[in-house]
Amino acid sequence: MITTTDLYKTYQMGNVAVHALNGVSVSIKEGEFVGISGASGSGKSTLLHMIGLLDRPTSGGISISGLDVIALSDQEKTIFRLERLGFVFQEYALVHELDAFENIALPMMARGETDERISDRVSEMLASVGLQERGKHLPKELSGGEQQRVAIARALVNDPDILLADEPCANLDSTNSKAVLDLIREINQESNQTVLMISHEDWHQQYFDRVIRLKDGEVVEE
Amino acid sequence: MYSWIRVSLFLAWRAIRRGGKVGTLLNILIIAMVFTNMILLSAIMTGAVNLFHEQTIDYVTSDIIIKPGEDERTIFQTNDLLEKVNRVPGVSRASARYALGATLNHKSESVSIPITAFNPRDEVKVTKIHQEIIEGDFLSPGDDGILLGFFVAGYEDQSMDFFESLGGVRVGDPVEVMYANGYQKEYRVKGLFSTKSYQADYMAFISWEEMDTVLGRENTESTQILVRVIPGEDPATVKTRLLEFGVQERVETWEEAITKVVADSLETFAIINRISVAVSLIIAVVVIGIVFTIKTINQQRQIGVLKAIGIDQNAIIGSYVAQVLFIWIFGTILGMILLNLIMIYFTAHPLEFPDGDVIPAFELITMLENAGMLAVASAIAGYVPAWRIVRENTLTSMRG
Repeated sequence: MITTTDLYKTYQMGNVAVHALNGVSVSIKEGEFVGISGASGSGKSTLLHMIGLLDRPTSGGISISGLDVIALSDQEKTIFRLERLGFVFQEYALVHELDAFENIALPMMARGETDERISDRVSEMLASVGLQERGKHLPKELSGGEQQRVAIARALVNDPDILLADEPCANLDSTNSKAVLDLIREINQESNQTVLMISHEDWHQQYFDRVIRLKDGEVVEE
Repeated sequence: MYSWIRVSLFLAWRAIRRGGKVGTLLNILIIAMVFTNMILLSAIMTGAVNLFHEQTIDYVTSDIIIKPGEDERTIFQTNDLLEKVNRVPGVSRASARYALGATLNHKSESVSIPITAFNPRDEVKVTKIHQEIIEGDFLSPGDDGILLGFFVAGYEDQSMDFFESLGGVRVGDPVEVMYANGYQKEYRVKGLFSTKSYQADYMAFISWEEMDTVLGRENTESTQILVRVIPGEDPATVKTRLLEFGVQERVETWEEAITKVVADSLETFAIINRISVAVSLIIAVVVIGIVFTIKTINQQRQIGVLKAIGIDQNAIIGSYVAQVLFIWIFGTILGMILLNLIMIYFTAHPLEFPDGDVIPAFELITMLENAGMLAVASAIAGYVPAWRIVRENTLTSMRG
């Protein structure tokens, strides 16, 4: 479903060219829960950003469900991200002025859904992440684990094909990390959503169907 | 199509409600102050212009002024013309004036101005000079005294005078008048008037009958005829009727009669006002722009996240523009409240100008125009910083 072909990404840092990806070719099937690991600077975040259409590769191709996504315009990429991708970030990345309910509702609102449909779906999502009583709370009133669960609900509210998670447990203790990973695994199994998740932790690997390991911008294990 | 507008308004309203209250209140206050500043100067100028117009009508020209035709120095058969004018629908009363150049002397001081004769019975119905007597009395029919404007009478301490004066002449004092036709006579000052209009207060009046004596004949000519229209009548319409009734002389409404120098002064007022408005708008754009630049830089990461999760750029920019417009709405309402309080104060305590007491005139159309311009300026001040951040690479924004 997701295929990257000979993906290169080079950043120019002053006079120095930094090769973040050196010909990465991977293939991820629909419904897979794939972990991406590697040392710092190995290119795992760059790969996730390329697949999430947040950055353009220097060369190479990315195909999602047969669609050459690199060829999409910026506006088309925005719509693609809204409708087909879900993101979970390390720092939760919630909108501070919106409560939990509103944060989750935002992507649906952007799709032009009705208030009634938004209300039903967001309530359902809050329940599924165990926060049905916390909907009216602002991010600053929630714990780190609760904020990350809100972020997961926001990522999944539009029922995306792919969930991209960039170290979602990096700021959580082990109890909250386990709760988040259990939740993602559950969603992956129940909804057959493809999940790509960056992780450093060895104990996370038990959740993954497989792990893509990167080193110096190259795939060393798949 | 409208979903991004919905998202913009939603994000903006939540940011206003739940964002930093101090910053929002400060912005509202800025808008209110800028709006007040834009309107207040304009209102004072409008008030000064209105005062000048009222003074011109009440003391100098009345509503319509009839002047001699081209190449004529006087209007002939004045009585016939007065009768004709008084019959025209819309005319309340007409008063003839005859001006003759003269030099007035008192002790060692002299002033050269025209002496104007009128029929006091007619004059009180076309001008309001009789209501502005500060000493003595207004002229009566057949009077042999002289009525002086305050600037002509002047002060004993001449450093206080605007123009050359007779050095502090008061009622009952003798004034020697040498007319341009060689006639010379000593008058007793019957009354002094002060309208605060420099045009009116630098005039001197005698009765029509006294002018007959000066000219040595029964005068049937006049140098101008002032016409007061019935309240509610438009002077321009009455002017047209006068022409239709066969008035051959030059007929001008008070607006047309204002000299070019005065018209230029009014235009200068308008230019100063426009500059003031432009400066106010620039201040608004710069201040709000700085505030929103800081705000968008602080929220750069959040903007990046919104882009990443698929929120349209227009929705993000629109949310900042909508925030500014919310602030503009509250700021303008606060500004209007302030202006009303100012108006109440100045109505009770008018601004004292040399030309008279000025009450700032707040005109709804001016308020709406300025509010509209401020809305556009505010929207630009909100749009540009948001646009600058949104067009940055999503990942760069997310990294803050």
